[in-house]
Amino acid sequence: MARVRNWQIGREMSYWYPEQRPARQFAAIFDTNKCIACQTCTLACKTTWTSGRGQEYMLWNNVETKPYGSYPLAWDLNVLEKLGGGKWVGDRYEGRTIFEAAQAGERVLGWRPEDVDYSYPNVGEDDCAGDIEKGAFMTLPHNRWFFYLARICNHCSYPACLSACPRGSIYKRPEDGIVLVDQSRCRGYQECVKACPYKKVFFNPTTGTSEKCIGCFPKIEMGEQPQCFVNCIGKIRHVGFVSRPEDARADNPIDYLVHVRKVALPLYPQFGLEPNVYYIPPVNVPLPFLRQMFGPGVDQAIETYRGSADDPDLAGLLSLFGSTPRIVHRWKRVNDSVLGFDESGAEIIRVPMREPVHVRLAVDLQSNIARQNCP
Amino acid sequence: MITADRHAGRSVQARTRQRRGNALPFAAHVLAVAVLAGCARREPPPANEVVALRAAALASDPGDAAWARAPEFVAPLIPQDMVEPRQLVASTGVVRVRALQDGTRIAFRLAWVDSTFDDLPRPARFSDACAVQLPQHFGPDLPAPQMGEAGKPVEITYWSAAWQAVVNGRPDSIQAIYPRATVDHYPYAAPSLAKDRVAQEEFARRYAPARALGSPQSHPPGQPVQDLLAEGPGTLTPAATTRSTGRGAYAKTLWSVVLVRPLPETMRSTDRAQVAFAVWNGGAGEIGARKMRTGWVPMSLGGAP
Repeated sequence: MARVRNWQIGREMSYWYPEQRPARQFAAIFDTNKCIACQTCTLACKTTWTSGRGQEYMLWNNVETKPYGSYPLAWDLNVLEKLGGGKWVGDRYEGRTIFEAAQAGERVLGWRPEDVDYSYPNVGEDDCAGDIEKGAFMTLPHNRWFFYLARICNHCSYPACLSACPRGSIYKRPEDGIVLVDQSRCRGYQECVKACPYKKVFFNPTTGTSEKCIGCFPKIEMGEQPQCFVNCIGKIRHVGFVSRPEDARADNPIDYLVHVRKVALPLYPQFGLEPNVYYIPPVNVPLPFLRQMFGPGVDQAIETYRGSADDPDLAGLLSLFGSTPRIVHRWKRVNDSVLGFDESGAEIIRVPMREPVHVRLAVDLQSNIARQNCP
Repeated sequence: MITADRHAGRSVQARTRQRRGNALPFAAHVLAVAVLAGCARREPPPANEVVALRAAALASDPGDAAWARAPEFVAPLIPQDMVEPRQLVASTGVVRVRALQDGTRIAFRLAWVDSTFDDLPRPARFSDACAVQLPQHFGPDLPAPQMGEAGKPVEITYWSAAWQAVVNGRPDSIQAIYPRATVDHYPYAAPSLAKDRVAQEEFARRYAPARALGSPQSHPPGQPVQDLLAEGPGTLTPAATTRSTGRGAYAKTLWSVVLVRPLPETMRSTDRAQVAFAVWNGGAGEIGARKMRTGWVPMSLGGAP
């Protein structure tokens, strides 16, 4: 075990390999407040990558209803229960990560989902109790709220899948930090499936190898956003590259939201993987639940997000989400417009912060006829 | 630790003698019945090492009567507890080994008790399997018994129950795993491709990345076995071609598997060698490094037929 720096838990931790950062790190921001769980992202991924034999049950992208939804079944509860509680002291996590809590003979604290755990891809969908005229039918730990959590591979800085593979079949691309399973080397031991706490590696029984989200790397290489991003009709997603906190640039959209405004947070940072999908937490959910899920920065993130209406920079950058199929490397606001630039510095998108409003009367006064609500 | 285990053959024999008293009587009975069926000759006494009898023709079926001529060596298995992920719980106790060789090839018959039959890998389910390991260059300075070591490769022949099932005719479909499964649509099964088998297969390969890359893992070479090379834990690599053959059968909690493989050049002119074995009980979650294994076991190659 090596000692590595994990900025998300504010301390050094143990990891199987020494710290080795890629030239840049694939990262994404999902605004949970905008997600409507239409699953268009899920289908975009499914049709693009996992429509083959042996991939029937795979969802490299899925959207689950929290608190009760999960795929595979109870992936989060299983890991949380095994890990036990862990205390945060300020921004420092004092508990054990899944690497530090590994059982004897293991590289990572993990659990193996069985096929039955993959049998309910949308269990818990829209489950919400309360707010019923005559009272809820039953009382659950979390009443009267839910939200949608879209999930892909987090392309972690310290991937558990990578550290658990005894064959070194999983690698992190030095150019962009995307984590891939080498399909020519994998022998289907499923150690990665067991180790990934987010359960985003799947065993393919037809090929006998394990497969996972590839971050649509062929598109990333062309400067384009992945399939689940460009097909998101709620425009909740934004892809880019995240820096370490000390290298953060305010003109990098990801850095601005993660490091400068701290409005987007990692999913279960206490696991210790330094995941690189960051979530703007839902504003309608009790804070204790969110603190467990996104760490101690939740209170501040929600307050900042709620203030975005009076915060032109923050509101402006959020309006870039879903505005272009290209990857926005830099951004800036000019008065009432937000501009996005590609890697070469060329402008690729210009979004007005307020769309012009046209009021169209129901009656055409010139012709004195009612207008029909059709083209 | 690896070095300390290098010449474990002697201690294997010692442990064998210790354990012979409590060897599995049921397994022994089943094996004896299977091997001796149709064979009038007397069973040779148990060996205290692997004895590869010289034979004009090598038996390729585990039920072949020729195996009765070969003395049986009972190899105790120990958990792989040297590298993570470790096997901390002992499962399969012994593997019973018989061997025949014709000067260029060597055939092993491995038999072990496994109360759970597992030949269908899927999430959290693993295949029963076994393997034979030989040093690529046999000599006084043997590689570490656990997958060899850098500069001292080992040759491994691996047999898997999952591949045996494919060889035996199990179809390559989701229904073979989940009989009641239905699938809305596979792109390769689109009506527009129905009359073009080549296009269908090309399309199916797009969604099977391991096959598209020619991964031997996803393409059993028409055999339930695979030849591999290793120079230490984590370095296992398929050989350029698999020249070994094999066949396994399961009956009454007993796996019987024959592995026939080329004899390494350096073993063709010697009458002494070393060999190692490994067994995986899929039902106990054993896969990869999670296995029961031996150290190097002494092997005699000079026995007369």
